[in-house]
Parts: sequence; structure tokens; C-alpha cells
Amino acid sequence: WHQGKGKTLPSVVCRPGRQQSTGPSEPGAFQPPPKSVIVDKRCLPGQETRFLSPEFIPPRGRTDPLKFKLERKEMLERRKVLCIPELYVGSILRVTTADLYASGKTSQFLGICIQRSGSGLGATFILRNTIERQGVEICFELYNPRVQEIQVVKLEKRLDDGLLYLRDALPEYSTFDVNMKPVSLEAGQEVPVNKLKVKMEPRPWSKRWERPKFNIKGIGFDLHLTEEQMKEAQKWSQPWLEFDMMREHDTSKIEAEIWEEIQASKNS
Amino acid sequence: MRGWRLLTQAGAQVLGRSSGSLSANKHLAFFRSLRGKNGTWWDEHLSEENVPFVKQLVSNEDKVQLASKLCPLQDEPWPIQPWEPGSSRVGLIALKLGMMPLWTKDGQKHVVTLLQVQDCHVVKYTSKENHNGKMAALHAGGKTASRFQLGLLPKQKVQIFRVTDNAVIKPGPPLYAAHFRPGQYVDVTGKTIGKGVEGIMKRWGFKGQPATHGQTKTHRRPGAISTGDVARVWPGTKMPGRMGNVARTTYGLKVWRINTKLNIIYVNGSVPGHKNGLVKVRDSKLPAFKDFCKNLPFPTYFPDRDEEELPEDLYDKNVWQSSEPSITFA
Repeated sequence: WHQGKGKTLPSVVCRPGRQQSTGPSEPGAFQPPPKSVIVDKRCLPGQETRFLSPEFIPPRGRTDPLKFKLERKEMLERRKVLCIPELYVGSILRVTTADLYASGKTSQFLGICIQRSGSGLGATFILRNTIERQGVEICFELYNPRVQEIQVVKLEKRLDDGLLYLRDALPEYSTFDVNMKPVSLEAGQEVPVNKLKVKMEPRPWSKRWERPKFNIKGIGFDLHLTEEQMKEAQKWSQPWLEFDMMREHDTSKIEAEIWEEIQASKNS
Repeated sequence: MRGWRLLTQAGAQVLGRSSGSLSANKHLAFFRSLRGKNGTWWDEHLSEENVPFVKQLVSNEDKVQLASKLCPLQDEPWPIQPWEPGSSRVGLIALKLGMMPLWTKDGQKHVVTLLQVQDCHVVKYTSKENHNGKMAALHAGGKTASRFQLGLLPKQKVQIFRVTDNAVIKPGPPLYAAHFRPGQYVDVTGKTIGKGVEGIMKRWGFKGQPATHGQTKTHRRPGAISTGDVARVWPGTKMPGRMGNVARTTYGLKVWRINTKLNIIYVNGSVPGHKNGLVKVRDSKLPAFKDFCKNLPFPTYFPDRDEEELPEDLYDKNVWQSSEPSITFA
């Protein structure tokens, strides 16, 4: 707290709760700085946001960490050969695989990624598209050697981590042109979040998407459910879950170790 | 055991009961378990500062002993004999780490279990006559445990492997994962995961009854347990009870890959037991793989004796490695 006389205050300022007038009331009185001095170092535009693919983070369990290290070594070696891009649920991808029974021995599929599951070498992602008015979902393995190319046609995120509700949505939300041209993003721009609210088919749906356990924000519920039905769905809410300490799992240390391994393998 | 008889007599005298062995057995629970002859444990008379010092000292000694790959015994090991048809060699004790997918060069996906060999040593030799009259036996020990828990050698699991006379090894040398080679078939024995008391549908695979169409309180029950003519239930009838935690063997599992540096065996399919559980691995006894150990190290793999060093990873010829390019069907 020892500061020289006349020095400015430190950068993080606790502003007082009530501020009545903005202009100086008396000469020599405290004049608050014109702009907010609190700077969030995480959102600086120049910094690169490193993306750690979720299958690198091992699931919680009593498995020996040696097994995860061996798996990660294999995954990184495969990534040196095949470029696996940054992909999120809601981005549109085109995957080329080797197919024994197709002419030209390769087959391509374009679709929106609705789910990413699995960890380690067996990580998968499901792509959905509508072909000739029939919805088709294909589950691809990220590290399968038959996958020859994964091209991100449109990189974007959606409001939810899982888009399985597209199965009960109107078909226009799952239809994408197979010959779509890739949409490129500017370098350094954050991944755009598509805040689309999807319209659904009439009920009953395959799952009760209005229930709080699915925590879906990307459906326009007002068009399909009354307020009473939404209140009824809140009966299944479990508000104590967010305070459950046993469910807290801090992965920062594991992620730091994984980043070190990735750097080491890049250098070698 | 002699010790139990002494205890029962002491118990009977102390409590003044003169009934048979049944009641005396019940009172054994009141007495302290007497592991050694003196009835004390290792840190009973040590002061508080000395306990961590002794622990550290002993663990350092153990590490030094295990780190040296040479035989801890000073005498010469027994002569190595060549392989003959019909001979069987020692197996290993390994730790089940987990499971992983593996792809072959034709694009097929297989699942493999990783088994790590941690400090597996040959512990004891019993000759043919002492063992059972037909074959000699070698005792091999698995993971090293704390010295203060067990009696002589601190091994967590010791298993018996029946070997022919030409495959005997003098007790002492450690066994490595390179004892097995990719492309061979093994049998893996382990204790299955204990499920506790289970019903007949899970335990014996019964079909149960339908969920609807008027079934009253009968959906997972056995139904009939015997016929009417016998007027009793046959002993051994399948009924609910404890399931799991029993030694079971899976036969004929192919070895796809071996990591000689970390001593890990990649074995096809699944293996009985939970993760970090100890299993016994040996060459397959199936008639299809009877004389497979022709080209395998006999009686076992000695790293200091073989001139050529093995590469870090040994693969089966069909396995697709991650450093190879993607598979194409040309």
C-alpha cells in the first residue's frame, strides 16, 4: 500500500456501489476515470486461443494414467499424418473415407455435427444430413485409419453441446447442400455462436427435450409448449446438482500436462 | 494348522467351555491374529521419527534390487535346454491396465486389452515328484508389495505354472513382456469382477417372463425349479446367489503388439477382472496352437543374454500403426 504521492490508483478498481453524478462536483474532488479500467486479460484480441480437443481429456476413473499416456501418444502420431481440424457440435463437416464397395473406393459425406462422444482413440462424432428427404446420421471415428480427410465446411458453435433434438425438428434444419463451398473465417476471430432457435415437429418427440436435465437452449419452446407445460417440466429439475461438490472435477492440471505432451511431440 | 489347535485349546480353557470344536471356532474372533511367532508388528517398538526412516530405507533397498536386471542370487543359473515338441514354458503375471481399439491393415477394428508386466520374478521351483508326479512347477510372483505385510518375498500375487523339465528356470530372474511375441495366442486367467448377490437372469442368463399380458408380480423369476416326479430339488439347481469374484480363464487370445520398454502386452478381446487387477498369462493350451512356442524364446527371454536388442515396439504383421498413412483400397 506504500505509493508515492500523486500516483494513480492500481488497475483493478473497486467501484463504489452508488454513483450519483458523473461530472465533478467540486474542484479537486475525486474524478473517476472516463473508461472502465478493469481489463479481462483472457479476451485480448492478439492472444491465440488454443483448442484442446475433448477426447484428449481422460474420463474420471481409477484407470492408470500410463494407459492414457500411451493412447495420447498414438493419437498425436495419427494427427501428424492426418490433419484433424478444430470441430465443434454445430459445425458442418465433409468426411472422406475409404470404402471397399464404392466406385472409386472412397465415399464422402457432408453433415452437421450433432454429438461428440468417447475419449481417447475411440472418439467419435455423428454427422447428420437429409438426403432425398430421408434423414441420415453417420457416426465416424476420429482416429479410424480409413478416414482420409476431414474438412470443416463451416466452423461455428451452437447454443447446446448436443444437437440430438434435430431428429425431432423440421427437416429444413438438418438439410445442407452436399456441394457446399467452404466458408472461411478471418484469422484470429473467435468461433461464431449461432443463436438459432429451432422449430420442432408436433409432439410427441423422441425425448422430452423441455426437461431441465437436457438443458436445451436452442429450441423455440414458446411455439410448441404452453407455460403450464413448461412449469410441469420444471418439476424434474434438480437444483442441488450445481452445488454437488462430488461432481466437481477440475481438469486444469491434467490439461496442462496434456499441453506439455503435445508441445513435446510437436518438437520431436 | 497346529496354531489353530493351540488357540482353540487356550480358548476353551480360558472360557471354561468343554464343548466341541464348533463353539471354540466361534471364539477365535476374540483373539489377536498371530502372524509371526513373537506376536508383534514391525513398527510396534519403533519411535515415531524412526518409522518413516525405516520405510524409506527398505523401499530404497527394494528399488535397488529390482533395478538391477541381473539375478539376485550369486550362483550360476541352470543351463538353458532347447525346445522339444510337447514342452510348455513358464507364463507371466500381469496387471490389467485397460482397453483400446486397434486397427488392422484391411481396415477392420479390433479391441485389445493392455496387460503390463510389473516386477514379475520366478520365485520357487518344485520338482516333478514334489509337485504332482507328472510335471514340474515354477512359482512366479507378480507385483511387489510392501515388505512388512507378507512373510518371505514381498509379492502381491504368486501363481503356479506347470512346465516341462526342459523349461525350468532357477528362481530369481525377472520375467519380461518380451517372453511373448506378437502373433502368438495366450490364455489369460483372472478373478472376475464380483457382483454380489445376483438374480437368475443376470447370473445364469434365464429369460424371465414377459412384462405385460397379465403377469402378476412375475417378471424376473425362475419359474419352475424341478419336475414333479422327483419330488425334490436336484442339488446344483441354478438359483440366485453370489456371482463373480471367481477365477476364470479366456482361451486363445491373440497377442497383437508388445512394448518392450514399458513391458506391455496388447491382447485381443477382453480379459476377466477389473482394471489394475492381476492376471496370469500363459501360452495357449488349445490344440490348434499346440506347438506354437517353436520360435518363441525358450525357456524365457533373458535381455542380458541375447545379443541383439529388441526394438521398443513389436507389432504383428497385420497391425496398422498410427505413423502409417491412412488405409486406401486401391
